[in-house]
Amino acid sequence: MRKYLLRRAAFGLSTLIGVSLIIFVVLRILPGDPLVAMFGLEGFAKLAPDDRARIMEDLGLSDPLPVQYARWMHDITTGSLGRSFFRGEKVSEIILHRGPLSAEIGLLAVLISWLVGLPVGIISAFRPNSLSDNVARSLSILFLAIPGFWLGMLIVLATLFWFNYKTPLVVVHLWQDPWANLQLIVGPAIVLGLGQGAYIARMARSCLLEVIREDYVRTARAKGLKEALVVMRHALPNALLPVITLSGILMGFVLGGSVAVEQAFGVPGLGRALVVAVIERDTIVVQNLVMLYAVIFVFINVAVDLSYAWLDPRIRYR
Amino acid sequence: MTDARVGVRAALAVGRVEPLPERSVTRELAGFARRNPMAAAAGLVGLLIVVMAITAPLIAPSDPLKTDFRRMANPPDARSFFGTDQVGRDTLSRVIYGARSSLIVAFASVLLGTTVGALWGVASGYLGGRFDLVSQRITEVLQSFPDLILAMAISMAIGTGMPAVIVAIAITRIPFGNRVIRSVALTIRELAYVEAARAAGGSALRVMTLHVLPQCVAPYLVLATAHLGVAIIIEAALGFLGVGIPPPTPTWGNMLADSLTSLVPHWWLVFFPGLAITVTVLAFNLFGDGIRDTLDPRLSPAFLRMMAGGRRG
Repeated sequence: MRKYLLRRAAFGLSTLIGVSLIIFVVLRILPGDPLVAMFGLEGFAKLAPDDRARIMEDLGLSDPLPVQYARWMHDITTGSLGRSFFRGEKVSEIILHRGPLSAEIGLLAVLISWLVGLPVGIISAFRPNSLSDNVARSLSILFLAIPGFWLGMLIVLATLFWFNYKTPLVVVHLWQDPWANLQLIVGPAIVLGLGQGAYIARMARSCLLEVIREDYVRTARAKGLKEALVVMRHALPNALLPVITLSGILMGFVLGGSVAVEQAFGVPGLGRALVVAVIERDTIVVQNLVMLYAVIFVFINVAVDLSYAWLDPRIRYR
Repeated sequence: MTDARVGVRAALAVGRVEPLPERSVTRELAGFARRNPMAAAAGLVGLLIVVMAITAPLIAPSDPLKTDFRRMANPPDARSFFGTDQVGRDTLSRVIYGARSSLIVAFASVLLGTTVGALWGVASGYLGGRFDLVSQRITEVLQSFPDLILAMAISMAIGTGMPAVIVAIAITRIPFGNRVIRSVALTIRELAYVEAARAAGGSALRVMTLHVLPQCVAPYLVLATAHLGVAIIIEAALGFLGVGIPPPTPTWGNMLADSLTSLVPHWWLVFFPGLAITVTVLAFNLFGDGIRDTLDPRLSPAFLRMMAGGRRG
């Protein structure tokens, strides 16, 4: 197991190096002059050549690209991630201030997706083509098509309309005011959780349907076990493996989707920071936040692989 | 005499063997509709949306860009069924025109991304070796970004506007095409006829294009239809976040973003563009499921897993 762990960790690390290279190439080499991005074409034309050189120097953008890349890597390992072009805010501060909110949303969303998706999938699989199965499947197909941010906007509108309620607009941490914090995260978490829950229900259903045709499930039934026991003890553990993988992949959807859903709910999380930075063309912030999202995603995938190996010994020993 | 006649008649009958039922397009479509009524209905809805987008200037009740300051933020009524926005533009017309940008972006990006991914997948599956190894690593890296975030970063780098959005979404689709088609190419490479082609002295390029590629068409189509819905949602999300196709061109995404400019959003400005997205994505998804069941039923479970990342083990 340890060898497997080390191998996966090394794999994840090498992937992240590739990720950082892509981010760097996309954001530094493609867009042309960062000053044009910052000041706009007209603003750029008004700048004297000396000023241009000085600003580039200040931003650390006049060094050769490999040096810039090395400095970025160094910054990442030391945790000081540079400053925003516009606000002078430290990127690490943005992350520490807003990150917890987005993390809570993500975790709660995953929890909701399992709590909703798994039972629905199980009910569907054990009464295939029954009314409840058809309702569940139609709902999951519908939820796969509804954009989360739109659902979020509708929820915001509805609560505003019927209860005249609006969520707080500033960052409130769990340890400051749990109740206000919950109000901030619960909406996005439900929207993201239901979207993922639809995938999970679909996957759980199809995997369970595959598994319950297996001989050992028939044996379990033949020896007179209660149906609930057959499901929980025998069928479910094997059907769960692909669902766990899917859940890891779906974290990518949650990470990506949370950006739009946070915007819809007006939650001041990391996603909002990223959107603002992209619109302001704040390269340093974008570069680090995108990297952060990728790090989290890769980390989750490695964790999923490990849990997979832990649940299924065949994988460990390959 | 009579015997001979019977013989002749029999011969004639043999000569006039009933031809096999023709594989006409209508017959195929009818068969598809019978087997997958849901998918056929969805396909019809999808087709209607495409027609709506193409004929937008003919069917839209008014100019989507024409402002009317006497009718600002009007709720739905007899003159504008979906209401008007903050500067009096007709929401129905804007939704109809919005279909154009959404569909163009979705079709172009899926076509571009899936095709590039598929060709790449054929090459890496067939050639194997170091090329395959490097390709797999690049795919792995590309898939380490959440879709929307990668699309945001790319469209930030290459600028807003339709071509940028198309390229940004296309790049997020490449890994899927690559992975699925690579696995297909891996199995086809081992088939006897491919080996025969190689033995006959066909170059790698020739074998790939003439013998491997045609076998990848069905999975390619399945993959492409499956990703149309995703592409539409990403496009809408980019528009909503203000990094997609910029106003005044109406897109469903930037209409939703526009609705947020008033303190209390008007419900019709939120509801109708989002409904358009949902209906379109639903239609394409259901149609895609039907295509998958028809073209390659064997693909389904493995395909699902592939879509879920195609992990080793």
